[in-house]
Amino acid sequence: MTTETRPPGTRPLPDAVPAAPGEGLPGTSSEPQGEPDLPKHPAPRPKDAPRTMRELRLAREGRRRAAPRATDNPLREGLRLERVPDPAVLVLFGATGDLAHRKVVPALYQLWRTNLLPHEFVLVGIGRREYSDESYRAEMRASMEKHARVQPIDEEAWQSFTERMCYERLDFTDSAGFDALAHRLDAFDRERGTRGNRLFYLATQPSAFGEIVTQLGRVGLDHERHDGGWRRIVIEKPFGHDLESAIRLNREVGKVFRERQVYRIDHYLGKETVRNLLVFRFGNGIFEPIWNRRHIDHVQITVAEAIGVEGRGSFYEETGASRDFLQNHLLQLMSLVAMEPPATFEAEALRDEKVKVIRAVAEPRGSEVRRTVVRGQYGPGWVAARDVLGYRQEPEVDPSSETETYVAARLMVDDWRWSGVPFYLRTGKRLPKRATEIAIQFKEVPHRLFRDSASEPDPNLLAIRIQPDEGIMLRFGAKIPGLGIDVRSVTMDFTYGSAFAVDSPDAYETLILDALLGDASLFTRADEVEEAWGIVDPIISAWADAAPPDFPNYEAGSWGPEEADQLIERDGRRWRRI
Amino acid sequence: MVEGPSAPFDRPAVDRRPEDDGRSHGVGQILAVGSRPAGSSRIVLEGPPRTGEPTLRWRSRARSIDEIEQELARIWSEPNLTTMVEGEPGRHIAARTSVMNLVVIARQPEIAERCAATIQQLTGRHPSRTIICSPADPDGPSWLDAAIQAHCVLPREDAPETCAELIYLTVGGESGRHLDAVVAPLLIHDLPVTVWWPGDPNLATESGRDLLRMADRLIVDGSTWSEDGLRRLGDLAGLLDDARLAISDFALVRQYRWREAIAAIFDMREFLPYLRSLRRIAVAYATHDATGATGSTNLVKPVYHVAWLASRLGLRVERPLAPVPGTAKPARGAARPMSRGLAAILRDGRHEVGVVVRPVQSPMPAGTTLRVELLAERRGSELRADVTAVQESVHVGVWLDGVEEFDRTFRAPRWSDVDLLAQSIEAGGRDPITVEALALAADLVGRGPAGERRGPPAEEAERGAEP
Repeated sequence: MTTETRPPGTRPLPDAVPAAPGEGLPGTSSEPQGEPDLPKHPAPRPKDAPRTMRELRLAREGRRRAAPRATDNPLREGLRLERVPDPAVLVLFGATGDLAHRKVVPALYQLWRTNLLPHEFVLVGIGRREYSDESYRAEMRASMEKHARVQPIDEEAWQSFTERMCYERLDFTDSAGFDALAHRLDAFDRERGTRGNRLFYLATQPSAFGEIVTQLGRVGLDHERHDGGWRRIVIEKPFGHDLESAIRLNREVGKVFRERQVYRIDHYLGKETVRNLLVFRFGNGIFEPIWNRRHIDHVQITVAEAIGVEGRGSFYEETGASRDFLQNHLLQLMSLVAMEPPATFEAEALRDEKVKVIRAVAEPRGSEVRRTVVRGQYGPGWVAARDVLGYRQEPEVDPSSETETYVAARLMVDDWRWSGVPFYLRTGKRLPKRATEIAIQFKEVPHRLFRDSASEPDPNLLAIRIQPDEGIMLRFGAKIPGLGIDVRSVTMDFTYGSAFAVDSPDAYETLILDALLGDASLFTRADEVEEAWGIVDPIISAWADAAPPDFPNYEAGSWGPEEADQLIERDGRRWRRI
Repeated sequence: MVEGPSAPFDRPAVDRRPEDDGRSHGVGQILAVGSRPAGSSRIVLEGPPRTGEPTLRWRSRARSIDEIEQELARIWSEPNLTTMVEGEPGRHIAARTSVMNLVVIARQPEIAERCAATIQQLTGRHPSRTIICSPADPDGPSWLDAAIQAHCVLPREDAPETCAELIYLTVGGESGRHLDAVVAPLLIHDLPVTVWWPGDPNLATESGRDLLRMADRLIVDGSTWSEDGLRRLGDLAGLLDDARLAISDFALVRQYRWREAIAAIFDMREFLPYLRSLRRIAVAYATHDATGATGSTNLVKPVYHVAWLASRLGLRVERPLAPVPGTAKPARGAARPMSRGLAAILRDGRHEVGVVVRPVQSPMPAGTTLRVELLAERRGSELRADVTAVQESVHVGVWLDGVEEFDRTFRAPRWSDVDLLAQSIEAGGRDPITVEALALAADLVGRGPAGERRGPPAEEAERGAEP
């Protein structure tokens, strides 16, 4: 027996209170536990065990569910989609930055507009710039004209949303400022009924993460209260610069917050099609049996951007395509494609399976990097009928920069399911168009029956389009109408926009709502981050040890350097033309 | 705007009857809805439509099932439609899409009109072949009249229109008693069949059962049923034995915001243990009847509140709802006092949970839930929760031993019929929450399998108790 100490005046937690006789929940026993010497009796029947034939039949039909756990609220069953988060204060660090303007605040407004935020909700914007509450609201209103997903702005909803929005000027090194913030948050609990629940959202430069987390810990804003106030922190990528810095960041955060309080956002995981990937794989019976090395020839994952560095030259110089996309988005998508079915649709089960995939990836090292990874940098060219600069001519970019704007890699997942199936990953800037896609290339038929066909049909292909035109395409062979047997590839196309005719929520809406609800399924865990850096770090090290690259090696508006084509063509395959 | 055949591809009318009124047109004539440029034989469709708004594109008329099938086929093989594309006429492209068959049984024309308007709002979201059946003149000779329409929605500016068919069927004479035989040949095979039966459905009749045998989902609105609605509630629960049929009741779906608010109370860890120590559930509902006599007001919604709570908590009905005794007989000439409502006993293991469903005279629509009160006792401590709803929000108050502990307002607007239909359609398969709530509701009103053993249902018991 342990003695629990709790603050005076607080009530004991319900799970710390022993149940009174007969008070246990259905399916739980109030019998003494762990006494093997007691006489053996048949186990008492749970209260909700079937008693009559009808109840037994209903139970068999699945109409009676398993007894809930003592900590579950049985009234929640069936309400998950409608659940509104607890009252809370969202403290947005970096509230004047680009991410806050373009993504976070528009997402919050949209959640508010659709009644998915609690009535007792407060948004506290934190930044270094001087704003009053009013001027901050006005700036956000102007920003909303450009970035809100649904236009025009619902003035009534915006008005009620801004009543819950305020601004605090705060230097992240200012201890007194954090003390004042803690007091103000406490005042919100009293005045606005936010009940001690806080979501800290770090939309700042990564260099500020450590300082903010330390300050939050110093003033006790990480402490979850016994009377129910939760504390969570959302961290935007990049999660470190390399493995060492990622471990350091995880440690810094871990000193203050427990892992279950930390929500690392990779916004790709909030995209509707990415979430649908799980449904597609595990909600359909026909795909999983062929989702393995026996039927799949290879997998291609493409994240192509038509844009350049868009004024973020100095940031990109330190990052490059491998850190900006390969380490997170591409490896996350790959892990979702390759993961084993989780036992439950719960955060830990999902993340356990994802991290197993990343662990199973054979890390390319030394000379192997030259054969399996290609880097590139764009030169001047034409994209979408526009003459564009080369990377080295972009503002804030070193004219002799060796930073890669393109990376293609051939990775192998060394496990039973995927042994021998290459995963080709590529991402780049200034490619011909914006497109993110996962293509599952199936093996050819073992025997060509229609030898006389004029054209050889392509093997089956399943393409999951993540953006734009979210949807799924399946390619198969069909007979061309006519007297002969000519086979041609045709496609079955599913497009979200046409099939459902409803807008998908923005990834940030999904993820912020999940963070407020405490659902970490779509967030990245510390070990996932570190394992992913374990793959990317040796690649970057090998490049650092190699001779200077011959950059630029692809023209803006092309699909990347020739070496990338050679990378896949060596295996007798080709990149998909998207 | 004109309506007319889009020559030269139109076929001659096969059966033009003199009794057609001015609004309608001959059988076998496909009419495109749009305008005809001077000197042109072609109809130019109204275009381009506004994104997301349904537009009537074609309409036709038929008087037999065969004719309906022919007309449906002709609508989609009609190649001679043009639309204005950047100021120039171009070939109109539309895709027929159906994700289900939606059969509406509308006993009155105004119900049919209302349902059609609701369904059209969902054309883009849930395109379906919709068949609205209205039986008419049951004692006359058998006849059938069908208006066939195609409604289209432009999901995005760069996407082809998505179109769905709507068939208004008016069926007279003996045919109206065999709607299943009328509907069956018009269903698109392999697609699920949803039967939406607004108003008072005849669920227990042979013809009703025949119709439901072809259905995968039944949608009703228990809050609109006549009298107290409890007999039909029992009939509805009787359908649960058909494991294939999913059931949605707007009356239950509509209560989502109450359920969300009530559940939110027990999301709080300190209140959760009280959920298993519930002692009383009281639901107040609006009535327009000054006496609140049972049978005068639909009770389905208040009963569902209790049934949902009880089913989630695994409670069993010990004694079904019956009038609360003690209403004194009024003195001669005096107004009869307001009824004290109905009471029931639920059981949770050794504990009894009292249930009171009581009327309150109110200008709100009759049968509307005004308040849900919960009382729980645990270790000498008493928790009282009080939930009320207004137009756009639900309010929850919780008192622990008389001290207010929780006061929260949820933004939760009422759902329109379009929302309710969308929710009902989107629910995949049998929803166990609905099944359990419905079964318990039937037990609670003494019409479930358990109730049949226990004695007369509530209104009969009250009739017996009345002076």
